[in-house]
Amino acid sequence: MGHTYEAVGWNRQKKHYDGVLWSGILLYLAVFVGGGLLWSPDSTLETLLIRGTSTLAFLLLHVILSIGPLTRLHPGFLPLLYNRRHLGVSMFIVALVHGVLSIVQFHAMGDINPILSIFVNDSVPDWSTGFPFQPLGLFGLIILFLMAATSHDFWLNQLTAPVWKSLHMLVYLAYALLFGHVIFGIVQDTSSLIPLILTVAGALWLVCLHLVAGFREKKRDTPATSKDGFVRVCRVDEIELNRAVTALVGRERVAIFRSDKEITAISGVCQHQNGPLGEGRIIDGFVTCPWHGYQYCPLTGKSPEPFTESVPTFRTAIEDGQVFVSEIPDPENIHSPASLTGDKVND
Amino acid sequence: MSDALIVWLLYLALAYLSIGVLFAIPFVLWRIDHIDASAVKSTRGFRLIVFPGAVALWPVLLNRLSTSTSDLPRERTAHKEIQQ
Repeated sequence: MGHTYEAVGWNRQKKHYDGVLWSGILLYLAVFVGGGLLWSPDSTLETLLIRGTSTLAFLLLHVILSIGPLTRLHPGFLPLLYNRRHLGVSMFIVALVHGVLSIVQFHAMGDINPILSIFVNDSVPDWSTGFPFQPLGLFGLIILFLMAATSHDFWLNQLTAPVWKSLHMLVYLAYALLFGHVIFGIVQDTSSLIPLILTVAGALWLVCLHLVAGFREKKRDTPATSKDGFVRVCRVDEIELNRAVTALVGRERVAIFRSDKEITAISGVCQHQNGPLGEGRIIDGFVTCPWHGYQYCPLTGKSPEPFTESVPTFRTAIEDGQVFVSEIPDPENIHSPASLTGDKVND
Repeated sequence: MSDALIVWLLYLALAYLSIGVLFAIPFVLWRIDHIDASAVKSTRGFRLIVFPGAVALWPVLLNRLSTSTSDLPRERTAHKEIQQ
């Protein structure tokens, strides 16, 4: 982006979002600890905080992992995506509190270094008496730290969106580690089946959600047939005004937009966080990403000043009411759109 | 995994993070705008927020500093690779 970085780009919506989020977090912990003290007066405040922060962080992780596939299934969930990084950082903070309290309670009073103690816990001499679940939690927390620490747009720009996205896909590894941490911790800590059932149910929910969203996305990505360096995408009348149709061209989606007078095509991958430009719309003459509002000129693929992002453009052609898109992007983003006025086709 | 190996790995991690802290402090104070023009005149809150990441990813930033450019790295997507 061509502007000066701030710590957080506060606006009214973000302040409201964070206000609701942290009110919910504090309320959850207050109810958990208060209820725990009433239900089980022998429990210490520290123990209840450890359990409260663990359940809350794990619950928030499920919410975070659900947002992505939910937005693929229905655009109504998109507002949840806008400030997902705030949710992620907040979840990490809660998990960090849990980690620190746990280390203090279970490892800080011994003779050896508390961090080392996590790996060489004498109370669990071998796997037959208990799985060493605590290292799983530590490694999961480290991944969450890496994600929280690189959540700012500075890192997005330094690492580039694909690399940044790959780093943040480690959230699934973190989930697997934390699932193991919770499951093996529960088994050793309590005889009740309810926590075990809820944990497994949460995992099943995420797996099913991702499978449904994944199959639906896969159906949209049928490669278009090629002829003379162009691929047929759709009929002109299949594209709504100021909206797009997407097609798989060159291993990635291309977004073909329709304005009043012409058909234009740009890469369907937003440079910000690789959002689906084909699901956006043309606003004030610019293709607008539905995820975070990044904009690109449909003719040149460039963002309006002072922003410097750009995406490749593709030549388009219309023949007998059918829209064709070139297989190869324009080498310098100088694009000749296909006219809708009945004039000779440009290609 | 033996206790001795775990100890050595923890020392390695500690060394990595120590180098990260020594790098990150001058980086966020004086050098961050050398690799990103948007960091010029950036707020103290921003520099504080990127500090933990700079400790963790100091090799990446050191590599960026060594290229002596404030131009942002170009992302590699399927379409941009074909375009080049």
